[in-house]
Amino acid sequence: MGFLVTTLIFSVVGIIASICSRICCNRGPSANLLHLTLVITATVCCWMMWAIVYIAQMKPLIVPILSEGE
Amino acid sequence: METMEKFIDNLSSMDLMRSEKMSLVQLIIPVESAHRAVSYLGELGLLQFRDLNAEKSPFQRTFVNQVKRCGEMSRKLRFFKDQIIKAGLLSSIHPVVEPDVELEELEIQLSEHEHELIEMNSNSEKLRQTYNELMEFKIVLLKAGSFLVSSNNHAVAEEMELSENVHSNHSYDEASSLIEQEMRTADQSGLRFISGIICKSKALRFERMLFRATRGNMLFNQAPAGEEIMDPLSAEKVEKTVFVVFFSGEQARTKILKICEAFGAHCYPVPDDFSKQRQITREVSSRLSELEVTLDAGIRHQNKALTSIGYHLTQWITMVRREKSVYDTLNMLNFDVTKKCLVGEGWCPIFAKAKIQEALQRATVDSNSQVGIIFHVMDALESPPTYFRTNHFTNAYQEIVDAYGVARYQEANPAVYTVITFPFLFAVMFGDWGHGICLLLGALVLIARESRISTQKLGSFMEMLFGGRYVLLLMSLFSIYCGLIYNEFFSVPFHIFGGSAYKCRDATCSDAHSAGLIKFRDPYPFGVDPSWRGSRSELPFLNSLKMKMSILLGVAQMNLGIILSYFNARFFHNSLDIRYQFVPQMIFLNSLFGYLSLLIIIKWCTGSQADLYHVMIYMFLSPTDDLGDNELFWGQRPLQIVLLLLALVAVPWMLFPKPFILKKLHSERFQGRNYGMLISEFDPDAEPGSAREHHEEFNFSEVFVHQMIHSIEFVLGAVSNTASYLRLWALSLAHSELSTVFYEKVLLLAWGYDNIVIRLIGLAVFAFATAFILLMMETLSAFLHALRLHWVEFQNKFYQGDGYKFKPFSFALITDDDD
Repeated sequence: MGFLVTTLIFSVVGIIASICSRICCNRGPSANLLHLTLVITATVCCWMMWAIVYIAQMKPLIVPILSEGE
Repeated sequence: METMEKFIDNLSSMDLMRSEKMSLVQLIIPVESAHRAVSYLGELGLLQFRDLNAEKSPFQRTFVNQVKRCGEMSRKLRFFKDQIIKAGLLSSIHPVVEPDVELEELEIQLSEHEHELIEMNSNSEKLRQTYNELMEFKIVLLKAGSFLVSSNNHAVAEEMELSENVHSNHSYDEASSLIEQEMRTADQSGLRFISGIICKSKALRFERMLFRATRGNMLFNQAPAGEEIMDPLSAEKVEKTVFVVFFSGEQARTKILKICEAFGAHCYPVPDDFSKQRQITREVSSRLSELEVTLDAGIRHQNKALTSIGYHLTQWITMVRREKSVYDTLNMLNFDVTKKCLVGEGWCPIFAKAKIQEALQRATVDSNSQVGIIFHVMDALESPPTYFRTNHFTNAYQEIVDAYGVARYQEANPAVYTVITFPFLFAVMFGDWGHGICLLLGALVLIARESRISTQKLGSFMEMLFGGRYVLLLMSLFSIYCGLIYNEFFSVPFHIFGGSAYKCRDATCSDAHSAGLIKFRDPYPFGVDPSWRGSRSELPFLNSLKMKMSILLGVAQMNLGIILSYFNARFFHNSLDIRYQFVPQMIFLNSLFGYLSLLIIIKWCTGSQADLYHVMIYMFLSPTDDLGDNELFWGQRPLQIVLLLLALVAVPWMLFPKPFILKKLHSERFQGRNYGMLISEFDPDAEPGSAREHHEEFNFSEVFVHQMIHSIEFVLGAVSNTASYLRLWALSLAHSELSTVFYEKVLLLAWGYDNIVIRLIGLAVFAFATAFILLMMETLSAFLHALRLHWVEFQNKFYQGDGYKFKPFSFALITDDDD
């Protein structure tokens, strides 16, 4: 599934998660902002991890060379 | 830019980001309501008192007598607790909650109880000693009786010989009966005996000593007592021996008595007449049973008293502790000039002021005082304490951050981001979704049993583990995510997200072991392709991937740190810091390491063969040279030259302007006041806490050196901190290799055999190795390194950490070990 599609999926998941946290624990503006920050940070971290591993495999310089006995 | 700044300003503030606003307050309390006011404030727990009597010793303070009384009462309560534990009643007592008792009444009750208990204890001691002595006497009677019967027979034979020699001239003896003759001969020959009981261990030496002392003129008979007896003096159970010593002569008697005393043998008189023995035995037995009854009654009485004390014990202990803390706090207050009021100062959060005022009003009303308590805000000279309102979840993270240093008042709190980035970096080093599931189970168990475990007393390791249960939960969730990305389940890859992107070149797979597979479609959609595991080129590929990943994550986190320093500078309205610290720092870091990250991404996207080490090194050594094979994009050479120049400019930019501008600002502010004062304006004793302008000396060289250290630290730190993030690669490699070794060399090896026993042993070894080495040691290791990355590499970009924590006077925070 291409890079952009999956990035879009990540951002949609992030938006849904922040909406859920706003619905489930609505505890005043300061706590809401904290929850939003946490959700955005988590989404960004997870996306970065996935994107790094994905991009690294797009045009690899080496290929798997099977070892003996496989 | 300005709209963004307006947007940032209009965002509602996040409580956890900066410390609660604190204010210094002054309380003027009339004496009659002082105790009550402080108690109510203790229940509220939102005011930190300042110690106004810090120079005084504990014995010079006002309420020292009350503190001593509280200390005496807690000593008595400890004594009661010891007695209850000794009597073994602790588990059976269920505390009863009753309305509070006044302190004076409690004191009287406690001393009464103590008196009663001490009396009961001494009485039962005496009774017990008497009981033990009588027991010994009974055993001596029993055993010695048998000796005397047999020895009388012996004595007869010996006496016959003696009597012929000694009493040949007593002719009237022949008329008396045989028994009388024996008696008289026994008396007249002076053969007497001493009977007693001695510890078995000393019996041999005792006998030898007696032998030597009487020069062999004695007969020693002994018999073991048969059972262990309670020694009356030492109250321990020892094995004892009953002995009877026959001797003649008065001197021998005194010697033997002295030796008995020295060896701790107890002597009891045993009559030689059999009927008298029986009579005395009967008397002793009856007395023993009487004593037993008395002792039992005594113990029951004691237990009843202890139980009734035990019902109230926890309540009393809490009360005494509270009172002591109230008096300690009252000792921190000062008497004012009229000696009718106590003056106190303290820090409280601004949101709590209403609650505190309400508590003080209640205290005034409850103590029927005519005068209200005055509560007003003062200006503060020193920096307020830092107070973050945390809940169960954020508390653990705040403690992690505070362990390095408590935030300065109102500076940005790294805990907000640490909540996510700390478990995330842990997971990057731990990534295995099998191990992650194990950690998740552990964390869920701890959270599910929250209410039960929080009331128990735990060891220090369990307590740390329990306190960090939410951290563990997030760590495990992120570990599962990273494990799915690294595609490792106990080091085994799965094809969860579809087929591999690699296949053989042709149908025979002939060159799979030499030239390798080829990539025939889009990369594996989520994570590392499963074909890599076990291949010969796995390590070169994964090492390259993970090293570059570490650099990218590191540069991202460091940029976040520098941006937080921007927000700090904005908050404190320090435009100097923004212009001459934030901007050059961003430029320096990003023109070098941000550029490196860009190169990494471009190399990955284009699949170029360029050598990034070469590119970076020659960017510095010979920036104008032609790049040749290492050219990744058009315009790279001029861009590199520009970035290098920017970095070179940024260094003096962050070093020089700030000290000079600070000097100029300082001289503008204190224009014309550079000479010393005639009258000392600043008198700290006159009005405590009022704000005065400090006429500080501006030491230019100190400021310049400070700025130089800061700049050098940043410049050198940029290189070393970026390299430090490579530990993310190192630990994840170690984890993956350990996991592989345990899987392949233990589990697979054992599974290869057909024998069920070997398979079970292999499974057991695998389970133990996974649990102890991977789950415990690696968790601790990754935890530690993630912690270091946060404390050093992230926080030294913006965190000062030189504040102090808000410790309010609160009854809830009084711990057990204040006793």
